[in-house]
Amino acid sequence: MNYGPLLFLAAFAAMSASWFGFVIGPQAQLGRQQPAAMLGSPVTYPANRSGEARQGLQIYRANGCVECHSQQVRQTGTKLIVQLVELGTNQPALAATLKRELPSLPEAELTRAMEKLPAALLTTSARPDADVLMKAIAAAGGKCSLQIVPVGPDLERGWGKRRTVAGDFLYDSPVLPGYQRMGPDLANVGARNPDLNWQLCHLFWPRSEVAGSGMPACEFLFEKLPLGAVRSPDALVFPAGTDPVPGFQVIPTPAARSLAAYLLSLRADAPLFEAPFSAPAVAATSTNAPAVAPGSTNAPAPAAGTPPANPPKTS
Amino acid sequence: MSPDRVQPLPLPVESSEPKVAEDAVPIVLVVVFLILFFCGLVYFDQRGAWFKPEVYVPYASITELQAFQPPTGGINLERGKALYESICGLCHNNDGTGKPNQAPPFAGSEWALGNPNRMIRIPLNGLNGSIKVKDTDWALSMPAMGAALSDEDLSAVLSYIRTSWGNKATPITSDMVKAVRGAVGTRTQMWTVEQLNAVQ
Repeated sequence: MNYGPLLFLAAFAAMSASWFGFVIGPQAQLGRQQPAAMLGSPVTYPANRSGEARQGLQIYRANGCVECHSQQVRQTGTKLIVQLVELGTNQPALAATLKRELPSLPEAELTRAMEKLPAALLTTSARPDADVLMKAIAAAGGKCSLQIVPVGPDLERGWGKRRTVAGDFLYDSPVLPGYQRMGPDLANVGARNPDLNWQLCHLFWPRSEVAGSGMPACEFLFEKLPLGAVRSPDALVFPAGTDPVPGFQVIPTPAARSLAAYLLSLRADAPLFEAPFSAPAVAATSTNAPAVAPGSTNAPAPAAGTPPANPPKTS
Repeated sequence: MSPDRVQPLPLPVESSEPKVAEDAVPIVLVVVFLILFFCGLVYFDQRGAWFKPEVYVPYASITELQAFQPPTGGINLERGKALYESICGLCHNNDGTGKPNQAPPFAGSEWALGNPNRMIRIPLNGLNGSIKVKDTDWALSMPAMGAALSDEDLSAVLSYIRTSWGNKATPITSDMVKAVRGAVGTRTQMWTVEQLNAVQ
């Protein structure tokens, strides 16, 4: 029974097949990515992280943050929302067009949509349906915008605007996408909470910022000094009533600063060709028309859940 | 009496090395595997996007991904047609042939197909005096019919004129209209053919 060479070859084939599949294949597919222009903008993405943030990546790696935090937002689908943003000059024609194109929409709903702009008219995942409606509206003189909304459980949790793609990790070495979620996903932590003091306080004593957090405290990245006559400008400012070390001031070491800089640099929120999305529409004003007076029905409605940037003065 | 001697059992004789049976693989198994292989290929073809690096889940192919790209503000020729028929068509006719003693034709007109910078100026400020279109002299006065239109609408209607009724000129973008509007400024006078010919 001399099957040795055959067994060797079979084992070799099995090993090399997985090596090709897991190493060479992905390298050939994604290994030569270059920064690419964002959607609708000549700016390329991603920008390299700052030197401090790159050092922070090594701190992140050394402290095993990656064992509990992923940096991959998943997406299960994409919605298209056609929004009416401008009625144009011929409103009866627009109303007739809408009635023809959207026979399932009740008339009361249609009237309400035309009174309060921007109004979502159609939610679909089929682009041709959206295109037909948008063409009809444009031919009737109205203006509409197409909102592209990625959907998925991670996005509902507010962990990002779109799925994570390979380009998000372009300058990272090593790439730390993580594999389990004892804590929340960090792909967009810098966009979610861009407050440096918050990040540092949270690293020093997570329970001070998030009640019931299970994250281990990274006190060893900070210096605890007795509170002298003069408080250091670098000392952390804890939220009222949650100071974990009363009578002391907590100074972040360079390691803590770079780790926080890395966390703040985590924002994978650029619209890309491979992960498209678009911001909610604001009512567009044509370039040569006079600006719409505030308070009229054509004024952009503030996005749901966010306060208006400039609340109109009531006095 | 000597105790019974236990006779050792004879060692089994190893007759030959075990051999793979020469029976063929059951045909059912072959068919099952072929069906599974086929299903795998179909699944790969539909969901695999042929290893394109741009395509991630939830998109199954580059076509599907392209369907979710934001629209690039293109020129809406349907809007142009609607505007043409409500504004220009009254005199120039809905089929672009013009009306005798009223308005020259657009179909095949050297003005409609020519320099966009000259064409944009005509609806912006109007045109006065004689103009030669398709070897016919027209002595007319056209008011500034397009002055009230937005850049997008004017580009749509001019592009419709340049691409309809057999016309095959390049469309006019709203940026081109915007540039001309900026160059014209606050002029309210109508253009004459000589002035238009001076425009490059």
